[in-house]
Amino acid sequence: MAAALSGILAYLGCGLLGFVRAPRVLSLLALLGGAISFALWAPGFPEVLVGGLPWGIAVAGDPWAMGMWGLGLVLHATILLHTRGRRDAFQPLTTVLIGACLAAALSRDLFNLYVLLDLTSLLALVLIASGRRVRAVWAGLQYLVLAEVGLTLYLFGLGLVYGRLGTLSVTALAGQGPNLSDPALAVGVGLLLAGAAVKTGVFLLGLWLPQAHGQAPTEVSVLLSGIVVKIGVVTLARLSEAFPVGTVLLLLGILTGFGGLAYALWEKDLKVFLGFHTVSQLGYMLIGLGLGAGTGALLYAVAHGLFKGLLFLAAGEAVDRVGRREIAPLAGHLSASVAIGLGVGACAIAGLPPLAGFAAKGLLAHGAPAWARGVFYALGLGTAASFAKLVPLFRPRGPGPVGGLPVLVAAVVAFGLGGTLLVGGLLSRRAWGEAIMVVGLGYGLYLGLRRVRPRLPRWGFDWSVVSLLLASVGVVGLVALGWL
Amino acid sequence: MEGLAAVALAIALVGIGFWTLIVRRNLIWKLLGLNVAAGGAILFLVALAHRPGARPPIVGLGPGPSADPLPHALVLTAIVIDFATLALALVYVVFLTEHRHTQDVRRLERDEERGWPQP
Repeated sequence: MAAALSGILAYLGCGLLGFVRAPRVLSLLALLGGAISFALWAPGFPEVLVGGLPWGIAVAGDPWAMGMWGLGLVLHATILLHTRGRRDAFQPLTTVLIGACLAAALSRDLFNLYVLLDLTSLLALVLIASGRRVRAVWAGLQYLVLAEVGLTLYLFGLGLVYGRLGTLSVTALAGQGPNLSDPALAVGVGLLLAGAAVKTGVFLLGLWLPQAHGQAPTEVSVLLSGIVVKIGVVTLARLSEAFPVGTVLLLLGILTGFGGLAYALWEKDLKVFLGFHTVSQLGYMLIGLGLGAGTGALLYAVAHGLFKGLLFLAAGEAVDRVGRREIAPLAGHLSASVAIGLGVGACAIAGLPPLAGFAAKGLLAHGAPAWARGVFYALGLGTAASFAKLVPLFRPRGPGPVGGLPVLVAAVVAFGLGGTLLVGGLLSRRAWGEAIMVVGLGYGLYLGLRRVRPRLPRWGFDWSVVSLLLASVGVVGLVALGWL
Repeated sequence: MEGLAAVALAIALVGIGFWTLIVRRNLIWKLLGLNVAAGGAILFLVALAHRPGARPPIVGLGPGPSADPLPHALVLTAIVIDFATLALALVYVVFLTEHRHTQDVRRLERDEERGWPQP
């Protein structure tokens, strides 16, 4: 435990010192400190109360913590390699942000998670707005207000749960075997779920996500989709461990998967399109959590962090270089390195073997009931169909700067190969054939849907708040009605 | 009884805050509404710590029952967070006012649809 906490101290300390001088060196130092501390505690450690007091903060080195640490360190290395010329407050801010995410991954205390979620929202707003573009500031401000509304609900739920059960530690709560037929407790749990879902970007609660991720500067989008969203998933995983809320998460997951996909299919702005796909991919993780397949959901979260980070990095490079945000005008303007990065990322998210998406989807479908596999196939089909829009982009024009792309390409390929080799049944001809068939059918679906242009509803700021509150009432109702 | 009154007041504050957040068009009013709602959540936590006839949870105030100290500790953190959030959000409202000369959400959304023309 001491090793893990000193890693977090290294991150926060180096980040804060970086505001004063030598931001790049200190950021590199934080990465080194984090990596050493991860190597020291990597086999994991059992739950400890920090300070040894009965009301200390519970931390544990469980699989979720290990997965998030690995993901966070890889993304930090990528960012450091990619932003070699920057001299402003960017490096210290990202260092503190990643430190907060690493701390949240270790924490098993619901109030501690609240504080860290709030810290990540504030830092994310500063980073989103760091380009000083009006549209990014506006998207970031909406993000902060919606996240704060969600966290106010979360605080209320925290009070109700504490009032009923007298503890906020996940392990102690799970040990009490909470009974949700008590209405006050059910409302509290519902509010906790709704608040965490807002921060995660679940459909109809987290409508801020696509614009905020799409309008942020390149490196910031990588971090937001890569790890900040995953901290929300960690919180939901902790809640599903403490309370019997599997069915609610399952329903939210299905809604999120298809809702995000519907918008992604017809989105023209490349980065906002990727943001909608983050929403859709969250569906896989929530369905995994709802089915009780915690390991599958965790590995999907890590794989998604890697390939979505790669996609945002390549897409951001393309958009910054060409100066256009829509997909069609970018064709023929990409450099070879960006095209390769985008291609590997798109193949991974569509689930082509043997990349990270294929391994993660295989792990998640492993042992899932037949209907859940049907849902996964349908989501995979839609993902392939919407990514078919990017096919005209892969006509590179000359080599370009490489930046941090190779780190993430290597991570996506390594994760995919490792998963494919280690999980039984993924090396079979049938699994590969199915994956390739889904992508082929997806391309067919794209050709069929090209002429359809539905008008999907768009929400303004006020309606996002209203939809958030109504959806929260819905979540509370589902928990209270005992759909468990 | 004071505990129940405080809980009712807390829920009322959250309602007023969210109502202001939704119906007001000015960004500063919206942020104030958000802060009032957060104040409601904080008051709710304080009300939970209440016990009939209890003293403040401070060592040396004498024997007898004391209020639950843990919610008080949580509330201190939550107050600081709310203050930081409001201050940071107002910085960006100032930025938008300087660049777009408005704090009206509808006008900002209309400008967004039109691709941010020069004000």
